[in-house]
Amino acid sequence: MPEYKLVYFAFRGLGEVPRQLFSLAGVKFENVRIEDADWDAGKRPETPFGQMPVLFVDGKPIPQSFAINRYIANQYGFAGKTPFEAALVDAFADQFKVDFNTEFKKYWYVKQGDEPGDVEEMKAKHGIPARDSFFPLVVKQLKKSGSGFIVGDAVTWVDVLVANATDYITVLEKDLLNDYPEILAHKEKIHSLPGLKEWLKIRE
Amino acid sequence: MPSYKLNYFDARGLGEVSRQIFILSGTPYEDNRIPRDQWPALKDKTPFGTLPVLEVDGKQIPQSLAIARYLAKEFGFYGKTPFEAAWVDALADQVKDFLAEMRPYFAVAMGMVEGDKEKLKAEVALPAIEKHFGLLEKAAKNNGNNGHFVGSSLTFVDLLIADFINSVEGLVPGFTAPYPAVSAVKTKIDNLPKIKEWIEKRPKTVT
Repeated sequence: MPEYKLVYFAFRGLGEVPRQLFSLAGVKFENVRIEDADWDAGKRPETPFGQMPVLFVDGKPIPQSFAINRYIANQYGFAGKTPFEAALVDAFADQFKVDFNTEFKKYWYVKQGDEPGDVEEMKAKHGIPARDSFFPLVVKQLKKSGSGFIVGDAVTWVDVLVANATDYITVLEKDLLNDYPEILAHKEKIHSLPGLKEWLKIRE
Repeated sequence: MPSYKLNYFDARGLGEVSRQIFILSGTPYEDNRIPRDQWPALKDKTPFGTLPVLEVDGKQIPQSLAIARYLAKEFGFYGKTPFEAAWVDALADQVKDFLAEMRPYFAVAMGMVEGDKEKLKAEVALPAIEKHFGLLEKAAKNNGNNGHFVGSSLTFVDLLIADFINSVEGLVPGFTAPYPAVSAVKTKIDNLPKIKEWIEKRPKTVT
Protein backbone atom coordinates (compact mmCIF):
# COMPACT_ATOMS: atom_id res chain seq x y z
CA MET A 1 0.00 0.00 0.00
CA PRO A 2 1.54 3.34 -0.98
CA GLU A 3 1.76 6.16 1.53
CA TYR A 4 -0.65 8.91 0.63
CA LYS A 5 -0.49 12.49 1.84
CA LEU A 6 -3.08 14.99 0.67
CA VAL A 7 -2.07 18.60 1.20
CA TYR A 8 -4.73 21.30 0.98
CA PHE A 9 -6.21 24.21 2.87
CA ALA A 10 -8.06 23.66 6.13
CA PHE A 11 -11.42 23.86 4.42
CA ARG A 12 -13.31 21.54 2.07
CA GLY A 13 -13.01 23.23 -1.33
CA LEU A 14 -11.02 21.20 -3.85
CA GLY A 15 -9.68 18.92 -1.14
CA GLU A 16 -13.01 17.42 -0.18
CA VAL A 17 -13.51 15.13 -3.18
CA PRO A 18 -10.08 13.43 -2.87
CA ARG A 19 -10.71 13.00 0.89
CA GLN A 20 -14.09 11.44 0.09
CA LEU A 21 -12.59 9.14 -2.56
CA PHE A 22 -10.02 7.78 -0.09
CA SER A 23 -12.82 7.25 2.43
CA LEU A 24 -14.94 5.44 -0.14
CA ALA A 25 -11.98 3.22 -1.00
CA GLY A 26 -11.27 2.54 2.68
CA VAL A 27 -7.70 3.75 2.16
CA LYS A 28 -5.69 5.56 4.83
CA PHE A 29 -4.22 8.91 3.94
CA GLU A 30 -2.50 11.73 5.80
CA ASN A 31 -4.89 14.67 5.64
CA VAL A 32 -2.65 17.75 5.83
CA ARG A 33 -4.66 20.94 6.27
CA ILE A 34 -2.93 24.28 5.83
CA GLU A 35 -4.44 27.32 7.56
CA ASP A 36 -5.15 30.36 5.35
CA ALA A 37 -3.15 32.56 7.70
CA ASP A 38 -0.08 30.36 7.31
CA TRP A 39 -0.38 30.16 3.52
CA ASP A 40 -0.80 33.93 3.27
CA ALA A 41 2.18 34.47 5.56
CA GLY A 42 4.33 32.43 3.21
CA LYS A 43 4.45 29.29 5.36
CA ARG A 44 3.79 26.99 2.43
CA PRO A 45 4.56 23.35 1.80
CA GLU A 46 6.65 22.39 -1.24
CA THR A 47 4.33 22.07 -4.19
CA PRO A 48 5.08 21.57 -7.90
CA PHE A 49 3.08 24.63 -9.04
CA GLY A 50 2.68 26.72 -5.91
CA GLN A 51 -0.92 25.57 -5.70
CA MET A 52 -2.96 23.07 -3.71
CA PRO A 53 -4.28 20.41 -3.54
CA VAL A 54 -1.25 18.19 -4.03
CA LEU A 55 -1.32 14.44 -3.51
CA PHE A 56 1.97 12.87 -2.46
CA VAL A 57 2.26 9.20 -3.39
CA ASP A 58 5.24 7.71 -1.55
CA GLY A 59 6.59 11.25 -1.40
CA LYS A 60 6.12 12.04 -5.12
CA PRO A 61 3.71 14.92 -5.82
CA ILE A 62 0.72 15.10 -8.16
CA PRO A 63 -0.86 18.56 -8.61
CA GLN A 64 -4.31 19.59 -9.98
CA SER A 65 -7.46 18.40 -8.27
CA PHE A 66 -8.95 16.42 -11.16
CA ALA A 67 -5.64 14.65 -11.90
CA ILE A 68 -5.63 13.67 -8.21
CA ASN A 69 -9.27 12.54 -8.26
CA ARG A 70 -8.75 10.47 -11.40
CA TYR A 71 -5.54 8.92 -10.01
CA ILE A 72 -7.24 7.78 -6.80
CA ALA A 73 -10.29 6.63 -8.77
CA ASN A 74 -8.16 4.59 -11.16
CA GLN A 75 -6.25 2.94 -8.32
CA TYR A 76 -9.41 1.91 -6.45
CA GLY A 77 -12.00 1.21 -9.14
CA PHE A 78 -14.07 4.40 -9.28
CA ALA A 79 -13.19 5.54 -12.81
CA GLY A 80 -15.75 3.57 -14.81
CA LYS A 81 -15.66 -0.09 -15.86
CA THR A 82 -14.64 0.44 -19.49
CA PRO A 83 -12.62 3.06 -21.39
CA PHE A 84 -15.88 4.42 -22.81
CA GLU A 85 -17.39 4.77 -19.33
CA ALA A 86 -14.18 6.43 -18.12
CA ALA A 87 -14.49 8.95 -20.97
CA LEU A 88 -18.08 9.79 -19.97
CA VAL A 89 -16.98 10.20 -16.34
CA ASP A 90 -14.26 12.60 -17.53
CA ALA A 91 -16.73 14.44 -19.78
CA PHE A 92 -19.26 15.07 -16.99
CA ALA A 93 -16.47 16.10 -14.63
CA ASP A 94 -15.09 18.65 -17.10
CA GLN A 95 -18.59 19.89 -17.89
CA PHE A 96 -19.05 20.48 -14.15
CA LYS A 97 -15.72 22.26 -13.67
CA VAL A 98 -15.40 24.30 -16.85
CA ASP A 99 -18.94 24.93 -18.02
CA PHE A 100 -20.95 24.90 -14.78
CA ASN A 101 -18.64 25.94 -11.97
CA THR A 102 -16.82 28.79 -13.72
CA GLU A 103 -20.17 30.55 -14.14
CA PHE A 104 -21.87 29.35 -10.95
CA LYS A 105 -19.05 30.43 -8.65
CA LYS A 106 -19.51 34.05 -9.77
CA TYR A 107 -22.82 33.85 -7.88
CA TRP A 108 -21.70 31.45 -5.16
CA TYR A 109 -18.69 33.44 -3.93
CA VAL A 110 -20.99 36.44 -3.47
CA LYS A 111 -23.62 34.28 -1.78
CA GLN A 112 -20.99 32.93 0.61
CA GLY A 113 -19.81 36.43 1.37
CA ASP A 114 -16.31 35.79 -0.03
CA GLU A 115 -16.76 38.47 -2.66
CA PRO A 116 -18.73 41.71 -2.77
CA GLY A 117 -21.79 42.02 -4.95
CA ASP A 118 -25.53 41.95 -5.24
CA VAL A 119 -26.61 38.40 -4.37
CA GLU A 120 -29.93 38.52 -6.22
CA GLU A 121 -28.38 40.07 -9.31
CA MET A 122 -25.58 37.51 -9.43
CA LYS A 123 -28.06 34.69 -8.84
CA ALA A 124 -30.17 35.77 -11.80
CA LYS A 125 -27.21 36.51 -14.06
CA HIS A 126 -24.91 33.59 -13.22
CA GLY A 127 -26.31 31.18 -10.62
CA ILE A 128 -29.57 30.15 -12.21
CA PRO A 129 -28.36 29.97 -15.82
CA ALA A 130 -25.39 27.82 -14.74
CA ARG A 131 -27.64 25.56 -12.68
CA ASP A 132 -30.13 25.18 -15.50
CA SER A 133 -27.56 24.40 -18.14
CA PHE A 134 -25.72 21.73 -16.12
CA PHE A 135 -28.12 19.81 -13.88
CA PRO A 136 -30.55 18.84 -16.68
CA LEU A 137 -27.63 17.09 -18.38
CA VAL A 138 -26.98 15.03 -15.25
CA VAL A 139 -30.69 14.23 -14.84
CA LYS A 140 -30.87 13.06 -18.46
CA GLN A 141 -27.81 10.85 -17.93
CA LEU A 142 -29.19 9.44 -14.65
CA LYS A 143 -32.33 8.43 -16.51
CA LYS A 144 -30.18 6.82 -19.19
CA SER A 145 -27.99 4.86 -16.77
CA GLY A 146 -30.97 3.82 -14.65
CA SER A 147 -28.64 2.68 -11.87
CA GLY A 148 -28.74 5.72 -9.63
CA PHE A 149 -25.13 6.39 -10.62
CA ILE A 150 -24.24 8.89 -13.31
CA VAL A 151 -22.15 6.51 -15.46
CA GLY A 152 -22.59 2.75 -15.58
CA ASP A 153 -23.90 0.74 -12.68
CA ALA A 154 -21.38 1.59 -9.97
CA VAL A 155 -20.13 4.70 -8.20
CA THR A 156 -17.50 6.77 -10.00
CA TRP A 157 -15.61 9.88 -8.98
CA VAL A 158 -18.02 12.11 -10.89
CA ASP A 159 -20.84 10.86 -8.62
CA VAL A 160 -18.76 12.02 -5.64
CA LEU A 161 -17.96 15.34 -7.36
CA VAL A 162 -21.59 16.15 -8.21
CA ALA A 163 -23.01 14.93 -4.89
CA ASN A 164 -20.47 17.13 -3.08
CA ALA A 165 -21.64 20.17 -5.04
CA THR A 166 -25.28 19.31 -4.36
CA ASP A 167 -24.36 19.09 -0.69
CA TYR A 168 -22.61 22.43 -0.32
CA ILE A 169 -25.22 24.20 -2.45
CA THR A 170 -28.20 22.92 -0.48
CA VAL A 171 -26.54 23.52 2.91
CA LEU A 172 -26.32 27.24 2.16
CA GLU A 173 -29.36 27.60 -0.10
CA LYS A 174 -31.80 24.84 0.72
CA ASP A 175 -34.25 25.39 -2.13
CA LEU A 176 -31.90 26.09 -5.04
CA LEU A 177 -32.11 22.53 -6.38
CA ASN A 178 -35.79 21.88 -5.60
CA ASP A 179 -36.56 21.60 -9.32
CA TYR A 180 -34.06 18.74 -9.50
CA PRO A 181 -35.37 15.98 -7.23
CA GLU A 182 -33.25 13.41 -9.08
CA ILE A 183 -30.13 15.38 -8.12
CA LEU A 184 -31.19 15.54 -4.48
CA ALA A 185 -31.88 11.79 -4.51
CA HIS A 186 -28.51 11.17 -6.14
CA LYS A 187 -26.77 13.01 -3.30
CA GLU A 188 -28.61 10.95 -0.70
CA LYS A 189 -27.58 7.74 -2.46
CA ILE A 190 -23.91 8.68 -2.82
CA HIS A 191 -23.64 10.05 0.70
CA SER A 192 -25.06 6.80 2.11
CA LEU A 193 -22.29 4.67 0.61
CA PRO A 194 -20.15 2.82 3.16
CA GLY A 195 -16.89 4.58 3.86
CA LEU A 196 -18.22 7.89 2.64
CA LYS A 197 -21.12 7.85 5.10
CA GLU A 198 -18.68 7.59 8.01
CA TRP A 199 -16.37 10.30 6.64
CA LEU A 200 -19.28 12.75 6.41
CA LYS A 201 -19.89 12.33 10.14
CA ILE A 202 -16.31 13.13 11.16
CA ARG A 203 -15.14 15.61 8.56
CA GLU A 204 -14.43 19.24 9.27
CA MET B 1 -11.17 -1.45 -35.49
CA PRO B 2 -14.07 0.82 -34.48
CA SER B 3 -15.16 3.61 -36.79
CA TYR B 4 -14.15 7.03 -35.53
CA LYS B 5 -15.73 10.36 -36.39
CA LEU B 6 -14.47 13.57 -34.83
CA ASN B 7 -16.99 16.40 -35.01
CA TYR B 8 -15.65 19.91 -34.50
CA PHE B 9 -15.58 23.31 -36.14
CA ASP B 10 -13.21 24.12 -38.97
CA ALA B 11 -10.50 25.08 -36.47
CA ARG B 12 -7.60 23.59 -34.53
CA GLY B 13 -8.72 24.70 -31.07
CA LEU B 14 -9.90 21.91 -28.82
CA GLY B 15 -10.12 19.35 -31.61
CA GLU B 16 -6.60 19.41 -32.98
CA VAL B 17 -4.97 17.28 -30.26
CA SER B 18 -7.35 14.42 -31.09
CA ARG B 19 -6.80 14.74 -34.84
CA GLN B 20 -3.06 14.46 -34.22
CA ILE B 21 -3.51 11.34 -32.08
CA PHE B 22 -5.31 9.68 -35.00
CA ILE B 23 -2.64 10.83 -37.43
CA LEU B 24 0.33 9.76 -35.31
CA SER B 25 -1.19 6.34 -34.67
CA GLY B 26 -2.05 5.91 -38.35
CA THR B 27 -5.73 5.43 -37.47
CA PRO B 28 -8.35 6.29 -40.08
CA TYR B 29 -11.00 8.73 -38.86
CA GLU B 30 -13.58 11.07 -40.31
CA ASP B 31 -12.49 14.67 -39.71
CA ASN B 32 -15.97 16.23 -39.75
CA ARG B 33 -15.65 20.03 -39.77
CA ILE B 34 -19.00 21.67 -39.13
CA PRO B 35 -19.57 25.10 -40.71
CA ARG B 36 -20.64 27.69 -38.12
CA ASP B 37 -23.98 28.31 -39.83
CA GLN B 38 -24.89 24.60 -39.65
CA TRP B 39 -24.05 24.35 -35.95
CA PRO B 40 -27.30 25.68 -34.39
CA ALA B 41 -29.33 22.93 -36.06
CA LEU B 42 -26.93 20.25 -34.81
CA LYS B 43 -26.45 21.50 -31.23
CA ASP B 44 -29.27 19.47 -29.70
CA LYS B 45 -27.94 16.29 -31.27
CA THR B 46 -24.79 16.51 -29.11
CA PRO B 47 -24.65 15.35 -25.48
CA PHE B 48 -23.87 18.78 -24.01
CA GLY B 49 -24.69 21.19 -26.85
CA THR B 50 -20.95 21.59 -27.47
CA LEU B 51 -18.15 20.51 -29.80
CA PRO B 52 -15.94 18.58 -30.13
CA VAL B 53 -17.83 15.30 -29.96
CA LEU B 54 -16.14 12.01 -30.83
CA GLU B 55 -18.29 9.21 -32.22
CA VAL B 56 -16.94 5.70 -31.65
CA ASP B 57 -19.12 3.29 -33.64
CA GLY B 58 -21.79 5.97 -33.34
CA LYS B 59 -21.53 6.34 -29.55
CA GLN B 60 -20.83 9.93 -28.54
CA ILE B 61 -18.15 11.28 -26.20
CA PRO B 62 -18.19 15.06 -25.55
CA GLN B 63 -15.55 17.33 -23.95
CA SER B 64 -12.20 17.82 -25.64
CA LEU B 65 -9.93 16.40 -22.92
CA ALA B 66 -12.19 13.39 -22.25
CA ILE B 67 -11.90 12.65 -25.97
CA ALA B 68 -8.15 13.22 -26.10
CA ARG B 69 -7.55 11.06 -23.02
CA TYR B 70 -9.76 8.25 -24.39
CA LEU B 71 -7.80 8.20 -27.66
CA ALA B 72 -4.44 8.66 -25.94
CA LYS B 73 -5.14 5.60 -23.76
CA GLU B 74 -6.18 3.61 -26.80
CA PHE B 75 -3.13 4.50 -28.88
CA GLY B 76 -0.39 4.72 -26.24
CA PHE B 77 0.04 8.46 -25.66
CA TYR B 78 -0.95 8.61 -21.99
CA GLY B 79 2.32 7.89 -20.15
CA LYS B 80 3.84 4.59 -19.11
CA THR B 81 2.57 4.46 -15.50
CA PRO B 82 -0.45 5.71 -13.54
CA PHE B 83 1.80 8.36 -11.97
CA GLU B 84 2.90 9.61 -15.41
CA ALA B 85 -0.74 9.60 -16.54
CA ALA B 86 -1.62 11.78 -13.54
CA TRP B 87 1.03 14.29 -14.62
CA VAL B 88 -0.29 14.28 -18.19
CA ASP B 89 -3.72 15.05 -16.74
CA ALA B 90 -2.34 17.73 -14.41
CA LEU B 91 -0.55 19.57 -17.21
CA ALA B 92 -3.56 19.31 -19.52
CA ASP B 93 -5.73 20.86 -16.80
CA GLN B 94 -3.10 23.57 -16.29
CA VAL B 95 -3.46 24.40 -20.01
CA LYS B 96 -7.25 24.57 -19.56
CA ASP B 97 -6.75 26.94 -16.61
CA PHE B 98 -4.48 29.06 -18.83
CA LEU B 99 -7.07 29.18 -21.61
CA ALA B 100 -9.81 30.14 -19.13
CA GLU B 101 -7.70 33.05 -17.85
CA MET B 102 -6.92 34.13 -21.42
CA ARG B 103 -10.55 34.08 -22.50
CA PRO B 104 -11.31 37.79 -21.90
CA TYR B 105 -8.27 38.71 -23.98
CA PHE B 106 -8.91 36.15 -26.75
CA ALA B 107 -12.53 37.31 -27.12
CA VAL B 108 -11.45 40.88 -27.79
CA ALA B 109 -8.31 40.03 -29.78
CA MET B 110 -10.36 37.78 -32.10
CA GLY B 111 -12.90 40.55 -32.61
CA MET B 112 -15.78 38.64 -30.98
CA VAL B 113 -16.31 41.17 -28.19
CA GLU B 114 -15.63 44.90 -27.90
CA GLY B 115 -12.79 45.91 -25.66
CA ASP B 116 -9.37 47.44 -25.20
CA LYS B 117 -7.10 44.84 -26.74
CA GLU B 118 -3.83 46.40 -25.59
CA LYS B 119 -5.06 46.89 -22.04
CA LEU B 120 -6.24 43.29 -21.84
CA LYS B 121 -2.98 42.07 -23.32
CA ALA B 122 -1.03 43.85 -20.58
CA GLU B 123 -3.40 43.06 -17.71
CA VAL B 124 -4.68 39.61 -18.65
CA ALA B 125 -2.66 37.87 -21.36
CA LEU B 126 0.91 38.62 -20.37
CA PRO B 127 0.43 37.73 -16.67
CA ALA B 128 -1.41 34.52 -17.62
CA ILE B 129 1.39 33.57 -20.01
CA GLU B 130 4.05 34.30 -17.39
CA LYS B 131 2.27 32.29 -14.73
CA HIS B 132 1.30 29.23 -16.73
CA PHE B 133 4.18 28.97 -19.14
CA GLY B 134 6.50 29.45 -16.19
CA LEU B 135 4.97 26.32 -14.70
CA LEU B 136 5.07 24.42 -18.00
CA GLU B 137 8.74 25.36 -18.40
CA LYS B 138 9.45 24.08 -14.88
CA ALA B 139 7.65 20.81 -15.67
CA ALA B 140 9.56 20.34 -18.95
CA LYS B 141 12.89 21.09 -17.21
CA ASN B 142 12.11 18.75 -14.30
CA ASN B 143 11.32 16.06 -16.85
CA GLY B 144 14.86 16.38 -18.17
CA ASN B 145 14.33 18.87 -21.00
CA ASN B 146 13.99 15.89 -23.36
CA GLY B 147 11.35 17.28 -25.70
CA HIS B 148 8.48 15.84 -23.65
CA PHE B 149 6.50 17.18 -20.75
CA VAL B 150 6.09 13.78 -19.09
CA GLY B 151 8.29 10.71 -19.29
CA SER B 152 10.45 9.78 -22.21
CA SER B 153 7.88 9.39 -24.96
CA LEU B 154 5.13 11.46 -26.51
CA THR B 155 1.96 12.07 -24.55
CA PHE B 156 -1.12 13.96 -25.63
CA VAL B 157 -0.19 16.96 -23.51
CA ASP B 158 2.88 17.50 -25.75
CA LEU B 159 0.50 17.76 -28.72
CA LEU B 160 -1.97 19.96 -26.83
CA ILE B 161 0.60 22.53 -25.79
CA ALA B 162 2.54 22.51 -29.08
CA ASP B 163 -0.63 23.37 -30.99
CA PHE B 164 -1.95 26.05 -28.59
CA ILE B 165 1.39 27.82 -28.85
CA ASN B 166 0.54 28.50 -32.51
CA SER B 167 -2.66 30.31 -31.52
CA VAL B 168 -1.04 32.40 -28.81
CA GLU B 169 1.98 33.13 -31.03
CA GLY B 170 -0.34 34.72 -33.57
CA LEU B 171 -1.37 37.30 -30.98
CA VAL B 172 1.81 37.61 -28.92
CA PRO B 173 4.65 36.89 -31.32
CA GLY B 174 7.82 35.50 -29.78
CA PHE B 175 6.19 34.81 -26.42
CA THR B 176 7.96 31.47 -26.00
CA ALA B 177 11.42 33.05 -25.95
CA PRO B 178 11.77 32.76 -22.14
CA TYR B 179 10.64 29.11 -22.24
CA PRO B 180 13.32 27.05 -24.04
CA ALA B 181 12.26 23.65 -22.65
CA VAL B 182 8.67 24.28 -23.74
CA SER B 183 9.94 25.42 -27.16
CA ALA B 184 11.97 22.20 -27.42
CA VAL B 185 8.75 20.18 -27.07
CA LYS B 186 7.09 22.21 -29.82
CA THR B 187 10.08 21.81 -32.12
CA LYS B 188 10.10 18.05 -31.54
CA ILE B 189 6.36 17.72 -32.25
CA ASP B 190 6.40 19.96 -35.32
CA ASN B 191 9.20 17.89 -36.83
CA LEU B 192 7.64 14.46 -36.41
CA PRO B 193 7.20 13.30 -40.03
CA LYS B 194 3.46 12.58 -39.74
CA ILE B 195 2.79 15.86 -37.92
CA LYS B 196 4.96 17.86 -40.30
CA GLU B 197 3.02 16.40 -43.26
CA TRP B 198 -0.30 17.12 -41.53
CA ILE B 199 0.68 20.72 -40.72
CA GLU B 200 1.41 21.30 -44.40
CA LYS B 201 -1.83 19.86 -45.70
CA ARG B 202 -4.39 20.68 -42.96
CA PRO B 203 -6.85 23.55 -43.41
CA LYS B 204 -5.16 26.78 -42.32
CA THR B 205 -7.07 28.41 -39.45
CA VAL B 206 -6.23 31.25 -37.07
CA THR B 207 -7.08 29.18 -33.99
